[in-house]
Amino acid sequence: MNVYTPILVLGLLAFGFAVFSAVIAPITGPKRYNRAKVDAYECGIEPTLQPIGGGRFPVKYYLTAMLFIVFDIEIVFLYPWAVAFDRMAVFGLIEMVLFIVTVLVVYAYVWRRRGLEWD
Amino acid sequence: MTFVEANTGEAVVFWICAILSVAGAIGLITSRKAVHSALWMALTMINLAVLYIANSAPFLGMVQIIVYTGAVMMLFLFVLMVVGVDASDSLIETIKGQRWAAIFLGLTLTVVLVWGIGSALAGVPAVGLEAANREDGGNVQGIAHLIFTDYLIVFEVTSALLITAAMGAMVLAHREHWQPKPTQAELSQARFLGAGHPGNLPGPGTFARHNAVDTPGLLPDGTPAEVSIPGALKARGDVQPVDIEDVHAIEEADSL
Amino acid sequence: MNAVVEAVRAVEETPWVMPTLDYKLLAPILIILGAGVVSVLFEALLPRAARRPAQLVLVFVSLVAALVSIIALQGSRSLSGRGALVVDGPGLIMQGTIVIIAILGAMLMAERGLDPSGDAFAARASALPGSEDERQFTARGYFQTEIWPFFLFAVGGMLLFPVANDLLMMFVALEVMSLPLYLLTGMARRRRLLSQEAALKYFVLGAFSSAFFLYGAALLYGYTGTISFPGIAAAVSSTTGQTGLLLVAVALLGAGLLFKIGAAPFHQWTPDVYQGAPTPLTGFMAAAVKIAAFGALLRLFYVALGGMRWDWAPMLWVVAILTMLIGSVIALTQSDIKRMIAYSSIAQAGFILVGVVAATPAGLAGALFYLIAYAFTTIGIFAIIMMVRDENGEATHLSKWAGLGRRSPFVATIFAVFMLSLAGIPLTSGFIGKFSVFTAAIAADDTWLVIVAVIASLIAAFFYLRVVVLMFFTEATDETAEVAVPSVFTTVALAAGATVTVLLGIYPQPLLDLIINAGVFVR
Repeated sequence: MNVYTPILVLGLLAFGFAVFSAVIAPITGPKRYNRAKVDAYECGIEPTLQPIGGGRFPVKYYLTAMLFIVFDIEIVFLYPWAVAFDRMAVFGLIEMVLFIVTVLVVYAYVWRRRGLEWD
Repeated sequence: MTFVEANTGEAVVFWICAILSVAGAIGLITSRKAVHSALWMALTMINLAVLYIANSAPFLGMVQIIVYTGAVMMLFLFVLMVVGVDASDSLIETIKGQRWAAIFLGLTLTVVLVWGIGSALAGVPAVGLEAANREDGGNVQGIAHLIFTDYLIVFEVTSALLITAAMGAMVLAHREHWQPKPTQAELSQARFLGAGHPGNLPGPGTFARHNAVDTPGLLPDGTPAEVSIPGALKARGDVQPVDIEDVHAIEEADSL
Repeated sequence: MNAVVEAVRAVEETPWVMPTLDYKLLAPILIILGAGVVSVLFEALLPRAARRPAQLVLVFVSLVAALVSIIALQGSRSLSGRGALVVDGPGLIMQGTIVIIAILGAMLMAERGLDPSGDAFAARASALPGSEDERQFTARGYFQTEIWPFFLFAVGGMLLFPVANDLLMMFVALEVMSLPLYLLTGMARRRRLLSQEAALKYFVLGAFSSAFFLYGAALLYGYTGTISFPGIAAAVSSTTGQTGLLLVAVALLGAGLLFKIGAAPFHQWTPDVYQGAPTPLTGFMAAAVKIAAFGALLRLFYVALGGMRWDWAPMLWVVAILTMLIGSVIALTQSDIKRMIAYSSIAQAGFILVGVVAATPAGLAGALFYLIAYAFTTIGIFAIIMMVRDENGEATHLSKWAGLGRRSPFVATIFAVFMLSLAGIPLTSGFIGKFSVFTAAIAADDTWLVIVAVIASLIAAFFYLRVVVLMFFTEATDETAEVAVPSVFTTVALAAGATVTVLLGIYPQPLLDLIINAGVFVR
């Protein structure tokens, strides 16, 4: 028996269950639809109320995502540094502290200007 | 043109991932809907990551997944979700013949690149990264060695890019307020002093045979409560009449 | 087994040799980028009213300090940061010019005396154009002081660009320079939709050109096995046989850099960006980006690819001819002064390329002189464009410049001098610039290229002189714009631009000597 067999079996089980659920629900479930029920949001909000190809949309999420990417990239540099920091002596520590502090400065800016508050 | 044989496993991985990543790239530019494009791009990125890992560059592969497939894709998808998934681009050309010119130039570039790279690679043996990875005791260590010694200045200057990116996002996308934000007390005072309904509106009808938002709730005297239906549904004319049997059932239950 | 583990451990415990940095060589760059970080901190911590004075002090003090440290480095020829940067004569001259242009550009950006509602930048760039928010922010005297950290980072990138000595450093420098400029382009106070459109175009096309540069860098690394310029030069000179990959790599790298210069056929962004961007920024960008990008182009082609001049010269020949002709001919048809200057800047880039193609010390010196002359003239031109206004802001339509010479003879005369300098009329800096570039090209046997350049100069002279005629030999109408009185900032920048333009035309020898003595690039 290969050690990977249980993993394979588990994977097949998960796949089978997903297919089973997807197939069985429409067959056995009651179907009483009206227009409000097939809407994306039952409260009646139209998901496509925005004018297509025009108009202005809230871009609040963009800010959060951009900040996430900035600190994500910082981590990308931190990882190789952490793996090898003991071979770079104090110089390596200063390098990384300098890098983190400069990026932290913009974090301070975002924080002070309420960029982290949702609205 | 002869390519030096890699081992079979590597060749299999290469052909699967290469075909999938090119397919993803073609899907990315041909999809009409932005969300589909984004998902095609994720396919391309993940397959490239697999190729990097297969080429003994695990760090690059993982960074590809974390940064591109994780962060950049998330940025794309969520911004697209906010913008509205149905907003497919208008395909009207503003400059006449632009698309054909673009296809022609793109194909020319492809031919030139294939010719340039192909002619240079003919008969060159594949070396691989084993020797380079062994030098510092691992792939990540080797990259750390380069970043933090030879390319130290480049690394530090990168922080200027990160600062600009974060600050630019703030300047362009963060909405400031020129008036102080109303406090909770002020908001609730305004609600009670205003003309509207001060509290929560009554919920829609929840009955044994209807539990949808399009059926009004009933007032104590048995008449339907108009305000319990969301305005958008009412405006669209999607209100279900209250079934008289429901009213009888309630009366029966009360009389017991 | 144990022996292998021991060996791995021995490798993992060997400490690395860390680089020693000569901070004196890095001083100009460190000062500017450090000031950029402090500037972000100011934005974070200072109250709104205190930001502008603090930022202005920081910007001017750091720029002057950088200039002093560049002058102190005079005569150095050495590598820094394990060969990532190289400090040499031409590099220092370009850095010095960039810093001086940055000082003048910062003066234009700091100007608040011309627009009744403030400076040239939007009160809040995030407020929707035409919205109540925008009106409120403007009326309440909000100012976007974030322009100063962006400005400092852009200058830092420009200082790195011409001294970058490997492909990676050059690419990061390119991005550090460009990103803040994309942002600043979209922040104009008036005609904001035009400005935002320009920023988007600049960003998308700029990202595209960066991708070309990066692809070229990857291919060149694939061919030579190194990214350092001296290493590439050695690999290129020892190469035999297959050069297909090398040619493709050079073409892609060239496309990335020629985009920044605004050379045809990579010039399409120039008119839109020059027109849409806030005018002080256009002035700074037109002058300083051109110096930085030409510096990088010169170093890449002279140092790394100097051994294959016969392969890249024909490519630059074609680009130079296209650039000169397209710039000059299309400028004839423009009715907006900012767009006209944009096409003129394309044509000027072509003239400078004529010096680059020569690939001789004389060509390098000619290109450097031309760049310096062009930069000061350009700053002056945009200072005047800022001042010529009507009730809707800057009056950029050429019809509003008709008769300006009768109404404001002094300013119109200075503008006419700038136009004559760009046209290359004797006794102005432009003439000496063209002369030194053309003689260098003739000495390098590029006579045909010079003939085309002279023809293009004649075409260009027509539209430069047309503006002069329009200002002085046309009656002023009700449409004619007024010349607003600027504060001391713009006055100083304009005076500096005009003085240098005239001075370099009459007495160019000291600058020519300085450039000749600076020598050539460190190889």
